[in-house]
Amino acid sequence: MSIERVKTGIKGLDEMLRGGFLPETANMVEGAPGTGKTTLGMQFIHHGIQLGEPGLIITFEQFPEQFYHNAMAFGWNFAELEKQGLLKIVMTSPEVSRLDIESIDGMVEKTIREMGIQRVMVDSMSHFSRLSQDPVELRSLEFSFINAFKRYGITSILTHESPIFMGESASNSVISFLVDSYIILRYVEFESMIHKALLVLKMRGSDHAKDIRQYNITQQGIEVQAKFEGREGILSGHPRRMANSFVEAFVKR
Amino acid sequence: MSDMSPDLLDFIKNKINSFIKWDLVKFFYQNPNTTDTAENIAKYIGRNEESVQSELETLVDNKVLFRALLGQTIVYSLANDKTTRALIEQFIQACGDRHFRIKAVYHILRGRG
Repeated sequence: MSIERVKTGIKGLDEMLRGGFLPETANMVEGAPGTGKTTLGMQFIHHGIQLGEPGLIITFEQFPEQFYHNAMAFGWNFAELEKQGLLKIVMTSPEVSRLDIESIDGMVEKTIREMGIQRVMVDSMSHFSRLSQDPVELRSLEFSFINAFKRYGITSILTHESPIFMGESASNSVISFLVDSYIILRYVEFESMIHKALLVLKMRGSDHAKDIRQYNITQQGIEVQAKFEGREGILSGHPRRMANSFVEAFVKR
Repeated sequence: MSDMSPDLLDFIKNKINSFIKWDLVKFFYQNPNTTDTAENIAKYIGRNEESVQSELETLVDNKVLFRALLGQTIVYSLANDKTTRALIEQFIQACGDRHFRIKAVYHILRGRG
């Protein structure tokens, strides 16, 4: 029996996810500033609205005005969608949103029930780190926050900031253990240019593409392209041609 | 200074009678879904927490904002009252006009005595 997937609407990514996210899951998108985490999340929310699935954006950093402005650059009129009751952008803090989501009949719960929210983006979960210095307590706080959305049958995208612009860096956040899928966005340098690479590192309960693919942020949003051919060490940030590494490994001996 | 609608004049004189309240009203107009603590709201508008706290309380007393308790934490949000929201919208839009702003500043300064 096949489960209906929650499509992101991102060309190439849905294919990597074998059709989309699994429903009612929490999905993390991690990347350095400018890699397109928020754009990916906005595209997911906008695509859902096109399919008749109202969306909620909880932001800990950007004002709604910035979202309206940034979304409009892709042709997504978030201000109008809010007026139509298909989208709500809430700017708040992790401490208040956590208390709110745990409370009965809190603002988030009321919004979810009244609007019939099916998709949520939280931008960004990195701000939760200020709630506790204790990793065990932080894990518990994040776990309860993430599960609240699952309780309402919602599929969520949680962005997470990576301090590393290029090169390998495993997330030091416990949140990567808590989420159902984990997408990494990275900068890659080759031929004197910066490219962007995307990898689905983890997807609980589903197969997914294991290759590292190039993507671009276009006027229509994110477009995932073909995998990096003939190169290795992509996640190091400085990939090498495979032929060169072959020569280094075998011929130069 | 008399060509301002009486409702708006009353709103400025009695409810937005300080520059911090002006900032707060503008903030909540632009972020109508925000519910947050005085500390965070002060950060968002780039003001001192102590001065923001007392102004938030006055705006609650004047029914512009709504105060709630989340656990042990006091949080503030924009009041749901349609008339108040309409007045806020009228005020913010009127602020786009330089002459209106000068009049509003005059009333605020005059109110401070």
